[in-house]
Amino acid sequence: MRDLKHRVYFESLLSDVKNGLVDEALADGKLALGYSCYYVPEVLLNLSGCFSVRMRAPGITDISIATYYMSEKTCMYSRSILERAIEGGYNFFDALISTETCGMMHRSHEYFEMLNLVKEFNEKFFVSHIDSPFVTKDYAVKHYERQLRNHVLTKLSDVYSVDVSDEALLAAIEKHNELCRVVSEIGAYRKLENPPITGYEFHLIELVSECCPHDLILPYLKETLEEIKTRKPDEKPWYRVRVVLAGGENDDPDFTKLIEDAGAFVVADRYCFGSLPGREEIIIKEGETPLSAIARHYIETNQCPRFMNPEKVHGRKAYLKQLAEEYRADGLIVQQMKFCEYWEYERMYCQHVMEEEYGLSCMGIEKEYVNTSVGQLRTRFQAFTEALEIKKLSGEV
Amino acid sequence: MKYFGGCDVGSTYTKAVILDENGKIAASTIQRSRMNASESSQKAMEDCISQVPELKSAKDLSYIIGTGYGRNRVPFADENVSEISCHAMGVHIVDPSVKAVIDIGGQDVKGIAVAPDGTVKNFAMNDKCAAGTGRFYEAMARSFEMSLEEFSSLSLKAKTAIPITAQCTVFAESEVIALVGEGKAPEEIAAGIQMAVARRCFVMAKKAGAVNSITLTGGCAKNEGLKKAIEKVLKIKVTELSEDPQLMGALGAAEFARRKGGARA
Repeated sequence: MRDLKHRVYFESLLSDVKNGLVDEALADGKLALGYSCYYVPEVLLNLSGCFSVRMRAPGITDISIATYYMSEKTCMYSRSILERAIEGGYNFFDALISTETCGMMHRSHEYFEMLNLVKEFNEKFFVSHIDSPFVTKDYAVKHYERQLRNHVLTKLSDVYSVDVSDEALLAAIEKHNELCRVVSEIGAYRKLENPPITGYEFHLIELVSECCPHDLILPYLKETLEEIKTRKPDEKPWYRVRVVLAGGENDDPDFTKLIEDAGAFVVADRYCFGSLPGREEIIIKEGETPLSAIARHYIETNQCPRFMNPEKVHGRKAYLKQLAEEYRADGLIVQQMKFCEYWEYERMYCQHVMEEEYGLSCMGIEKEYVNTSVGQLRTRFQAFTEALEIKKLSGEV
Repeated sequence: MKYFGGCDVGSTYTKAVILDENGKIAASTIQRSRMNASESSQKAMEDCISQVPELKSAKDLSYIIGTGYGRNRVPFADENVSEISCHAMGVHIVDPSVKAVIDIGGQDVKGIAVAPDGTVKNFAMNDKCAAGTGRFYEAMARSFEMSLEEFSSLSLKAKTAIPITAQCTVFAESEVIALVGEGKAPEEIAAGIQMAVARRCFVMAKKAGAVNSITLTGGCAKNEGLKKAIEKVLKIKVTELSEDPQLMGALGAAEFARRKGGARA
């Protein structure tokens, strides 16, 4: 298969948080709004005059200072974000919209305030914290809606005079949905037996859509979609087995590449920073305001193990099973970052349900934000691929 | 007669096996790994080939599979297979009744559940640190200024075991040195070390689905003291293999080569 026209460009965009497109948007006078979790609706950070940047720390190596503040018993993602902030990597931010969904990330964001990070470069910079619900009841959705209004919209309006009217929200939803349609259409090609896209390429596409200003990245995504429509795959599928990659934080396309190098095609991305969920269109139902529709959408689609109500707990496993069927996966890989307070439990539970109740082969992986032991990971992925392949050949899958 | 090769390039030892077309072991070797994995595999395979008069070079082998951490660096291999699959297959052809394996290698410990056809049913790996691996034993034996064999024999002489609390190889070595300094009986410290490793194997064995018996593979499988400690901690029998347990990865690779090469022919 020929390389995607923009593959190298996408890789270069992901090598730094403040990439060329971010610079372009900043030069245009737009506000850069950082966030790190799906509980912060991306659409609200893309109101007119603003753009969202999902926080990553590419190329981070030494996290000693963040470890001093947060201890070694916290996830490496939250520490890497803090370290990158201390290095000055987010000094271009106008605001950081945080949520206390995860205690470690919340703590990392609190240090932005305690250490006066970013503010010395931008006096108006603020950190705002959303209190997110654990359940999906109507009252919880209403609470969440109030939180979004008070801690996102009102703050943006008060500090930066951003237009947060219903009309402005409707326009943001329309723009957001357009991007979602393009990314989802690209992603759907992974369902094909001989797909014109790899999991690694899709990971790049999904990440640039989260880390770059939407209106600037959209033309590249549309062009990529057109290219994929006519892209000729190799005569025979390149992969040996198909897997769903699920779990917690994962913004490292090389992790996906490592799995695919072992012969397992990552057909679906159900993890934080993935497109399932993440790229579903926001539908406004009758009687809903744009904000109430956004609040309902993000609670309904959310697959975070932080949700404790039985519908969500069982629904998460059923969703994975559904993805495995829809994308014709032979097995699942559930990855979790070391010390992740939610996925540590969810991974074990998920593996059990997938294997014992649904009969799907499932492998659990504990990883770090920066994966240095790739040799060991490669062995695991290869062994899992071999086991799945044998099952597939013997007709067990 | 056709021959098939398996080469297991481990972090401390490189193993090679040649099987004839009937699946009989024609040659085998175990050598200390060099810095260069490619060189290690070549030396090991050359040694194996020299044991079979009909063979002159690796080119005379019908199919070769590389395995182990250096599996991608076996220059003469037709393909590579993970050591997890190879250990399962190696054990299966030696003893088809084995259902669970603990492979204690130089740098990691693996628990492998073996399916009835010799494929991997499930596996678990401890590769985060050197505790409980061959490297760990090398460090402990060094503290006693002994060879690994002498260390193993020493542990078998103990009537009781002194618990070693540190899990980390570096801290465990310091703890052992301190205990020796306190004048504690060396055999009791050695037995404590064996028990500490056995406890680490417990989790792997459970993940591998061990119920009544388990088999050990890898270089540490030759450690009698560890075998006894595992039987004591796990309360299950450690099944002995009729072939060298350190060869299981290479043997499995050779068997995969025989099946794949045979099918190709």
